[in-house]
Amino acid sequence: MSGPAASGNAGEPCETGPPLAARPPQSPTAMSVDPMAYETQFFGFTPQTCMLRIYIAFQDYLFETMLVVEGVMLKKLDDIPGCKISSSQIRKCTEKFLLFMKEHFDKLFAKMEEVLLQLVLNIPKHVLLPEDRVQEQYPCSKEEFQALQDELQQLRQQYRAEVALEQALLVELEEQKIVKAELEKTLQCFDELDNICREHGAGNFKESFAFLTQSCKKLQDVLKDVEEKSKKVKQHDQLM
Amino acid sequence: APGRAQLFSTVVDTFLEKLVTAGSYQRFANCYRCFYKLQPQLTRSIYDQFISQLQASIKEEIEEVKNEGNLEELFNSLDKIVEEAKDREEPAWRPSGIPEQDVRSALVPYLRKHRAHLRRALRHKEERNGRVAESVLMGRDSIAELQQLIQARQQAWQ
Repeated sequence: MSGPAASGNAGEPCETGPPLAARPPQSPTAMSVDPMAYETQFFGFTPQTCMLRIYIAFQDYLFETMLVVEGVMLKKLDDIPGCKISSSQIRKCTEKFLLFMKEHFDKLFAKMEEVLLQLVLNIPKHVLLPEDRVQEQYPCSKEEFQALQDELQQLRQQYRAEVALEQALLVELEEQKIVKAELEKTLQCFDELDNICREHGAGNFKESFAFLTQSCKKLQDVLKDVEEKSKKVKQHDQLM
Repeated sequence: APGRAQLFSTVVDTFLEKLVTAGSYQRFANCYRCFYKLQPQLTRSIYDQFISQLQASIKEEIEEVKNEGNLEELFNSLDKIVEEAKDREEPAWRPSGIPEQDVRSALVPYLRKHRAHLRRALRHKEERNGRVAESVLMGRDSIAELQQLIQARQQAWQ
């Protein structure tokens, strides 16, 4: 059983449209459908779906209860001997009453649905849900957002460069330590030599050593000269 | 003004009331006239049971819907939110339906924090590196100095 299909003005009996929940699907242009997405975000369900669920449940209860009524009556009739009332008669009565009830049911439900969708299950246009506060606190265009991301990218790169620089500096610092240690060792050698000289009172050992080195060099030069000269003499002798 | 929870209850109660009024006993008896003539008292009792059963089922369904959806709490919460916004006039922001666009504002505070953190870290690194660079330069100087000293000694021993 379906409700009356007429759409129309509320308040006129038998011409009120069935509840939104009960209407058959129409083309999008015929009915302006407000998806109530923001309300759905808040409630966790679509208000229209909620109304539909309630409509179907109420309708089911109406039919069920009527069936029970009918069942009780039929049973009572069975208990009465010589009863002239047939079950199809009772069925007709039920249908009559049900049709009447359904009409009022649809009309009343449509009113209830309207109130609930407009006043209870709705969020007024000027209201912003707390979870969306950031949207008004931090409005951000695509360009601004991109600029922010670019800046972060640049900062990250700079940071990486600084880290690399830090590594290089620390490495050099370590190397310097080693080199310095070597050089200081060398210097220490020289210092020890000086100390030895001083201890053994060789006067100016350095000067004598230097003189010795020079003398050796001179000797080497003289030796070379002598060798050359003797070679020449030998050659001369051979020729003679 | 009544809260949403109150309004919800009132509206449902009104619906039931009017439905019961429409489905009056007179109407019922009129439809089931044949049975009524036979068993008037039983008709009355059946009708009473019908009405009470219908009301009970409907009220139970409403309770179930309220519990499942946690409606009581949500209604009160929404009332509060609407109350806090009562001085506003302009339409508020609504989701654009484009997630990439809507998520920007949500990310901005985090990105800004991240940026501040990076700037701070970068500054610290730069400062530290400045100091270490100074040590390195000083180290180069002292090495040069040592080299000179050694050269001088070398010369002296020539």
